Amino acid sequence: MKDMTKDTMAGAAGRRRNGVGDPLGPNSEIGRKLKQYYDELVSDNVPDRFAQLLSKLEQAEPAQKKD
Amino acid sequence: MAAVSQGFKTDLLGAIPSLRAFAVSLTQNADKADDLVQETLVKAWDKHESFQPGTNLKAWLFTILRNEFYSQMRKRGREVQDSDGIMTARLAVHPAQHGQLDLKDFRGALEQLPEDQREAIILIGASGFSYEEAAEICGCAVGTIKSRVSRARTRLQEILKISGEDEYGPDAISAQVTGTAAR
Repeated sequence: MKDMTKDTMAGAAGRRRNGVGDPLGPNSEIGRKLKQYYDELVSDNVPDRFAQLLSKLEQAEPAQKKD
Repeated sequence: MAAVSQGFKTDLLGAIPSLRAFAVSLTQNADKADDLVQETLVKAWDKHESFQPGTNLKAWLFTILRNEFYSQMRKRGREVQDSDGIMTARLAVHPAQHGQLDLKDFRGALEQLPEDQREAIILIGASGFSYEEAAEICGCAVGTIKSRVSRARTRLQEILKISGEDEYGPDAISAQVTGTAAR
């Protein structure tokens, strides 16, 4: 935030400053766990029902045009 | 109503994994999450004309999903939240290569957060949205998101008994130097 010159003089302080700037970044245990938690959810297999739903919506489209 | 373009449909399909992850984060229940995603897709389809091409589709969809979640919650008088931890049990079966126990603890801690804090920390820390985008999704000020994220983080640290990691740099610094992120 402040004192960028000081950061370059003391590398450790600079890195610490990075951690503060991004409190959920890779230096943060919470940040890492959060991503692990979320990535697991994102990589879960998507059930067919969603693709089927979109196909159904697509087919229903001409009928919807009336109203 | 103008025809929904093939591209829009493809983009919707592509957004489903993220939508499901966000829905699970909000509901803490896999079945309710999928119902929520289904509602979101139907709504998005119906109002596709209100989506501005070139803007962030994921943010637009997350907004719809979130509104749907809170309106359902109001209707049901807050029973959306799964207090029996069914989700925790279900997800615990999910195979993971590392940090299984840790992650289970983390899930439990996340469940204890109030919804507004949980969604804020998920949007910022996991879904990859900026504070500005998250504020738009939640319909609140950027400062509100910042304070929710900060409170969520402090609370998680308390629950998980992690000391203020970046106030006292050593852990963070050694992790960065040695690259031992996964511990």
